[in-house]
Amino acid sequence: MLMITVADLIQDERLPGNYFAPDAYIKGDFESGLIENRRGDRLLALPETLIQGIYAGLEKELGPSSGVVLFNCGRWWGKNFYARFVEEVSDYYGKNVAAMEMVEFLQCLKQCWKTHGWGTFDLDVSHYQQGFLVVKIWNSAFAAFAPPGNRPACFLEAGILSAFFSQLTGRELHCLQTSCESLGADCNHFILGLPHRLKPAEVWLEEQHETILERLCMSTAEGS
Amino acid sequence: MQPEIKTLLYEAEDHYLKPEEIESFKYHASSLAQRLETYELLRDAELALFQPVADQLLEAFPQKQQEMELALKHWLSVLRYCAMAMLMNNPEFLQRRLLEWLVDLVQVHQMQVIEINLYQLLQAQLQEQLSDQNLALVQPFLAQAEDTLLGRTNLVQLPG
Repeated sequence: MLMITVADLIQDERLPGNYFAPDAYIKGDFESGLIENRRGDRLLALPETLIQGIYAGLEKELGPSSGVVLFNCGRWWGKNFYARFVEEVSDYYGKNVAAMEMVEFLQCLKQCWKTHGWGTFDLDVSHYQQGFLVVKIWNSAFAAFAPPGNRPACFLEAGILSAFFSQLTGRELHCLQTSCESLGADCNHFILGLPHRLKPAEVWLEEQHETILERLCMSTAEGS
Repeated sequence: MQPEIKTLLYEAEDHYLKPEEIESFKYHASSLAQRLETYELLRDAELALFQPVADQLLEAFPQKQQEMELALKHWLSVLRYCAMAMLMNNPEFLQRRLLEWLVDLVQVHQMQVIEINLYQLLQAQLQEQLSDQNLALVQPFLAQAEDTLLGRTNLVQLPG
């Protein structure tokens, strides 16, 4: 006879919810002026002036290479971010991230992104078969305070995403930003894929995101 | 803490509470006692509420045991978070700590039929096992959960 025993479903007592809920995740201490996450790890607040200063300083020192430097900073930081994220999530939910459903993992990432104040995040996997993942980010501070220019400006985030998804998928993935709020777009689009497959798109950046993605997918179809 | 009591404490920083503020404080303090009572009832009745729901659900969907277990876990946590949100009289707690995170998980599994049935059975059990007064306290939070988790059913893509 079929049976579901509810007592078995709740035998370990915990039914975890949203680990990254902002009121639970971020703690501040007015006396010491420190902010920490719920595990006691220090958090760093980036004031608008500092973000603008980073852009201005790098531009002055490095000129056109400043984007590459920011991308590499993002990659470096993204590796550590991935390791911390996986550790926190698996500790809290009591299971290895490999055992998590994709939607659950992704939901944690979205909440984490938002709670850290990096904007809202969404992942589009509809071009996965062609070898591309698309990330959309709204309200990015790195776009909001970018200096005026004619190219997408969120190099730091592109580096973070590249490192994060490379570690997640076990393949070396590059990341290219194809639309930017700093250029008036509705959101920041990032395309993730193998470096040699993304390479051609670097010269198409004046096109719309949809056009770039379509061309990339078509070149895949022709190549295969 | 209940937001209303917190507000009264903030406002009283430079004066004694006025008579109408005292009245309001008394009202919220007594409401807190009722909320605590309801919280304890819900906590102690967790199995008694959900086991009949599980049994009836299994009769309705005998082939879907795995999905049902998942749906039951969703609503067990919904009721736990509703109970805490009710105790604090704070809908934002429920939204941020659970619903905002759970909504994608519920919708991606496309188990709306099971979830909707489960919610109706749970409502019936609550009506049977709680007094009207206790039920009235938790009901707005359940409605909030229903609205967030099941209310957008029409927008979910139908399986191709």
